[in-house]
Amino acid sequence: MALSEGVEMVDPAHPPSRRAPLRWAVGGVIPWLLLAVGQVVWLGFDKRMPWLHILIGVATVLGVVVSTAVVPLWRYRVHRWELGPQAVFTRTGWLVQERRIAPISRVQTVDTYRGPVDRLFGLANVTVTTASSAGAVHIVALDVDVADHLVAQLIDIAAIGAEDAT
Amino acid sequence: MSTAVWQRLSPRMLLVHPVHELLRELPFLIGAIVLGTTTGNQMWTVAVVAYTVVIGVARWVTTSYRIDAGQLQLRTGLLQRKVLSLPLNRIRSVSSDARLLHRVMGLAVVRVSTGQEAKGETGSGVFELNAVEVGQVPRLKAILLADSAEPDETTTPQPDDVLARWQPAWLRYSPLSVSGLLSLVAAAGVVYESGFVGPLQHSRIIESVIDEAQVLGTTSTVAVIGVVILVASVLLAVLRSLLTWGNLVLLRQGDVLHLRHGLLRLRERSYDMSRLRGGTLRQPLLVRIFGGARLDAVMTGVHGAGEASVLLPPCPTSTAEAVLTELVGDREVVTGPLRGHGRRAATRRWTRALSLPALAGLGLVLAPVVDGKAAVPVWVWPAWIAVTAWCALLAVDRIGALGHRVHDGWLVMRSGSVERRRDCLATAGIISWTVRQTPFQRRAKVATLVAATAAGVKRYPLIDVPDDLVWSIAAESSSWVADSIWATRSAH
Repeated sequence: MALSEGVEMVDPAHPPSRRAPLRWAVGGVIPWLLLAVGQVVWLGFDKRMPWLHILIGVATVLGVVVSTAVVPLWRYRVHRWELGPQAVFTRTGWLVQERRIAPISRVQTVDTYRGPVDRLFGLANVTVTTASSAGAVHIVALDVDVADHLVAQLIDIAAIGAEDAT
Repeated sequence: MSTAVWQRLSPRMLLVHPVHELLRELPFLIGAIVLGTTTGNQMWTVAVVAYTVVIGVARWVTTSYRIDAGQLQLRTGLLQRKVLSLPLNRIRSVSSDARLLHRVMGLAVVRVSTGQEAKGETGSGVFELNAVEVGQVPRLKAILLADSAEPDETTTPQPDDVLARWQPAWLRYSPLSVSGLLSLVAAAGVVYESGFVGPLQHSRIIESVIDEAQVLGTTSTVAVIGVVILVASVLLAVLRSLLTWGNLVLLRQGDVLHLRHGLLRLRERSYDMSRLRGGTLRQPLLVRIFGGARLDAVMTGVHGAGEASVLLPPCPTSTAEAVLTELVGDREVVTGPLRGHGRRAATRRWTRALSLPALAGLGLVLAPVVDGKAAVPVWVWPAWIAVTAWCALLAVDRIGALGHRVHDGWLVMRSGSVERRRDCLATAGIISWTVRQTPFQRRAKVATLVAATAAGVKRYPLIDVPDDLVWSIAAESSSWVADSIWATRSAH
């Protein structure tokens, strides 16, 4: 193999669906809203220690703001995916960012998952698993038709090779 | 031996099962004896003994197995009949285990593993035949492994190639881990549970010890107790190592690696060499100071951590390296020099090691100011200096350890000080690559490269690689990364 010093990887090309930030905002704010409800109930029962209530209230407001305004847009700027002829390459995360590349010859299963919030927005999540439990590739918040097309392409390419995937 | 008839396990188990049941219920039995003597009624003891004997016999009567049409079936259960089926081609390893009583009776327990902690398929996760006659074990192993390996050449016996044999000198590494202390705690727990503590408290020995302690005073008593615990845990660790690893033989027979160890309880494991994807040399700090190392196998279908993948317990480093060289086939991979990660990784090691002492020092300086009291006690500052010096040494050691190399189809990764490890991975076994960056790493222009494999611990991280090197490592190891549409070579 030729000298491979200085190999750089171009980022994958495709972003997730345009509805992805809204879906992430809705999905992220729900736990904080539950926490806020819990706090209101607590305030109803126990009015001692007002400083503690204020502290946790401020934290909850901060959490709501971050999870609706900051995280979804940041994530939308980072997430990318692309399917090449031999491999699939993704970029995920927001604070901690990961780039993962996996060869299609080692793919074992291709799964599609749609949670209740995903169904609301017409989105789907595709997971490509390999023989390694640490090597699964996740492509989240795709439009349903894009996801179906991707799954069909993957199964097509993966079925052509016949080697043992370990 | 493909029969369609259900076979019982060896009838000698009628003797072994009750004894093992009694041993397992020993705390309960001791409690029953104590109860019997205090109430003056020995019926409790008799009842417990009879109960365990009946359970043991019932277990033998209701268990049977057969190998039929490409699967191994085990039928067990007295009240709840369970049939466990295991397809032969899912079997990854077959191991045998013989405790002292089993060996005396000429029996062995055969355990079959699919390589997963599968709760769903086999129900209990471990498929075991307890027990079959020792003479039958090689034939059983051949049949059970036959469908999972290539068709074997059983006619010509392969020569045995002994890779390592246990030496009594290996015992000197055993006190260097916490196993002795843990055994002590476990023994104390058992004694407490059996109800011995009550009558013991009022015995004369304890009362005389308490009198002695009052004569000596608190500090000397604490010191004496500390020394006693230390000596006891060292002895227990050495004993445990002797019993578990004594008589260890690691040998290769053609395509199969056999590991046999145990002084009283003989365990034997066989591994298919075609599943070997490398090895890991692990050197905890104390073991390394005394020149030792342990060897784990990186193998598909075997649980990566824990006893399932141990090839050598703590033993001299030269032995472990020699065995790994035999398995890997290349001395450069095992002992060759590695490429360091540069200045930025070194700076990160320093900041991470010294951040806690720095914060503690700041706290100590500010405490008298905030608190308003006099200065902190005299012994605190020397202690802080000692801790900071220790952290600095750790940082230096970690910088020296961190490195990697790609050589001839192998990826070598080394890191750590307190838990140093050198992973030698076959690049053909690496399935996917992940490059991970926290915000601090992005700022320092380093990244963590994670190689995902189907073998060993499945996930092998290489921390703090300079980000201009990180994809080069992946490209050099896996040609499909270099040939992918996203890889570009920058002009250097």
